[in-house]
Amino acid sequence: MFSRTRVWFVVGLGLLSALALAACGGGKEGTEESASAANGGCKPSKSVETAYDKAWEQGEEAFELSKLEIPPTELCEVDTSKWKKEEPSGGYKIAFAAQGPTNSWAAENEEAFKTKAEEMGVEELYASADGDATKQVDNIQQLASQEPDAMVVVPMGSSITGQVKAATAQGIPVVACAGTIDPSSGVVSTVTRSYELQGRLWAEWIAKQIDGKGRIAMISGIAGVPTAEYPKKAAEELFAEKYPEIEIVTKQYDDWSPTKAKTVAASLVGKNLDAIWSDSSFTALGVYEAYKEAGKPVPPVTGDASNAYLKAVQNADVKFALSPFPPEMSTQCLETAVSILKGEPVPNFVNVEAPAFTEKEKKKYVRPECSENLWVPTKLSDEELKSLKLCE
Amino acid sequence: MNRAGSLASDLGARVAPLAGLAIVLVAAAITSPSLFESASLRLILFQIGLIGITALGQTLVLLVAGIDLSVGAVIGLTAVIVAAHTDGSNGALPVAIILAAAAGIGVGLLNALLVIVRGVPPFVATFASFVLVEGAITAATRGAPSGSIPSGLHTLGADRVAGIPVPLLVFAALALVVGLILARTIAGRKLYATGLNPRAAAMSGIRTPLVVAAAYVACSLFAVLAGLVDAGYIGYVDAQLSRELNLESIAAAVIGGVALTGGEGTVGQTVCGVVLLAVLLVWMVELGTGVGGQLAVEGAVILVAVWLQRQALTQKRSVKG
Repeated sequence: MFSRTRVWFVVGLGLLSALALAACGGGKEGTEESASAANGGCKPSKSVETAYDKAWEQGEEAFELSKLEIPPTELCEVDTSKWKKEEPSGGYKIAFAAQGPTNSWAAENEEAFKTKAEEMGVEELYASADGDATKQVDNIQQLASQEPDAMVVVPMGSSITGQVKAATAQGIPVVACAGTIDPSSGVVSTVTRSYELQGRLWAEWIAKQIDGKGRIAMISGIAGVPTAEYPKKAAEELFAEKYPEIEIVTKQYDDWSPTKAKTVAASLVGKNLDAIWSDSSFTALGVYEAYKEAGKPVPPVTGDASNAYLKAVQNADVKFALSPFPPEMSTQCLETAVSILKGEPVPNFVNVEAPAFTEKEKKKYVRPECSENLWVPTKLSDEELKSLKLCE
Repeated sequence: MNRAGSLASDLGARVAPLAGLAIVLVAAAITSPSLFESASLRLILFQIGLIGITALGQTLVLLVAGIDLSVGAVIGLTAVIVAAHTDGSNGALPVAIILAAAAGIGVGLLNALLVIVRGVPPFVATFASFVLVEGAITAATRGAPSGSIPSGLHTLGADRVAGIPVPLLVFAALALVVGLILARTIAGRKLYATGLNPRAAAMSGIRTPLVVAAAYVACSLFAVLAGLVDAGYIGYVDAQLSRELNLESIAAAVIGGVALTGGEGTVGQTVCGVVLLAVLLVWMVELGTGVGGQLAVEGAVILVAVWLQRQALTQKRSVKG
């Protein structure tokens, strides 16, 4: 009998310690986004600041928010004369350390880059990380060994910092694309839609929907991935500073999987939530389906802009606010890389503009004739969309 | 140790999953009573259905001392095939299902071939299939699967009959059938005999390679069904889910007490493990533990289950010795 008791004691202990682990293991460290000014000179520039603020202003207007407080960010214009290079007869050779075609976002991201490179007469050296930071470290090394004129990196995680540093030390100017790389890497310019902007814009809209008080849930993509963690952090800070009466009932991850998003949302249906902050339209879609199935009104929800979500809610009475993270920002990354090689001054941070919108404009952005995998609004041509099997 | 002691420890290993389930249910009821409200409860029932279907197949493979890590890939493959072939049209669904089943059988046969003919350890063989299939999916779709899931599958994945999610009903029916086959038929006895001692089984006239192959093919077919259920549940191709169901199907069977060494375990135990795991998963989300917590708890429960199993096994051996 004693041994049986002991067994259950161990079972209990196991569960308890696991719970303890869970309670303590949630935190993530993150570095603030700011591009490096360590390379060459970086002088303050009004035009860079104006360009940065423009994306914020569009968001404020689209979400019908009053003037947002933009968190201080180091913005300046990088003197790129030290990377200036005559364009070889065959065009510049630019390396693209890409995510790899693991989802439709990446497929569009890479197609846009390729087309733009052809258009600009740039020779593209491509490497796919398959969504894995460790693999990307090797990719960057391999690409650097082919001596490209410049490199564009879609960062898969902070562990690539060292390898990027090695590349910049080798004299290759690096552009961080659709994400941030630690400034110590010496990255020349960062071209992405600001995570702070995304996180705060969604949070402010949520706060407005519930008049600054109520119960909300936060659902993010993949734990530890910058694209999920930074907007989350920005939103959490905003809620904590500005809206003490908003109670964050629970924080969850759904791995940007529609199935997990729906199951997580289904577990929240009974929690009397007033709104749900989320960083993706996978989540928004899961929330919509779970509440609809439970026969309850769908709470206001945020996310990025996928055609799948818009198609699902195009005839439904649901409140939402979407701020895209456009895959074709890779073209701006490439343009920035070319500018650097031409010795033209570039911003240390390019805040990618993309139209944020709410349910009021859903008819304008939904593409019923296109695949659910499409990210809207897209700048890809009809032919490119066809070749990617995204539209008919 | 005496015979009574061995019986007691045997009983312990059998009762442990049930007792574990009871503990989890009580603890969950105390810490988050909302778990048993209709929405969460429905979610638990759905999870039991989805995980359960894969776990049944996994049980068959475990019983012949194998393991199938390609389950997740087959689930993904099914969704991709259905979306690409039907492009949302219900009329094309039957053919799409046949195609998906054929693909599933193909993967099952590949696994069986590697394990039986080439003697590749099941862990390696089925992991290779997983990578191969995932690679093929990525290459063919470039990460953006074309087409869409027909609404007809919604019935299978997201509908309810008398308040009970259809996937659970499907799982219950299948569990009953598989349970009966294992417990009452010659085929079932052959499966156990092959798993316990393949040489002895072969010498007594059982064509063990056929039995093993049947287990792998059946497991892949269950994965195809799970793929259909999942596609019907969300109505989209989900590229992210597959890895998780791989682990959960194995975890459920092992928590229930199905031995990784083959030949030991019943469908009843798997069912018990599935229910335990499903409640645990939803409970963890309710508690807001986050991914780390969910994995840690899942791992802890599997560890305890395997530890109990080993203990029962050593005690049994010491009796025999």
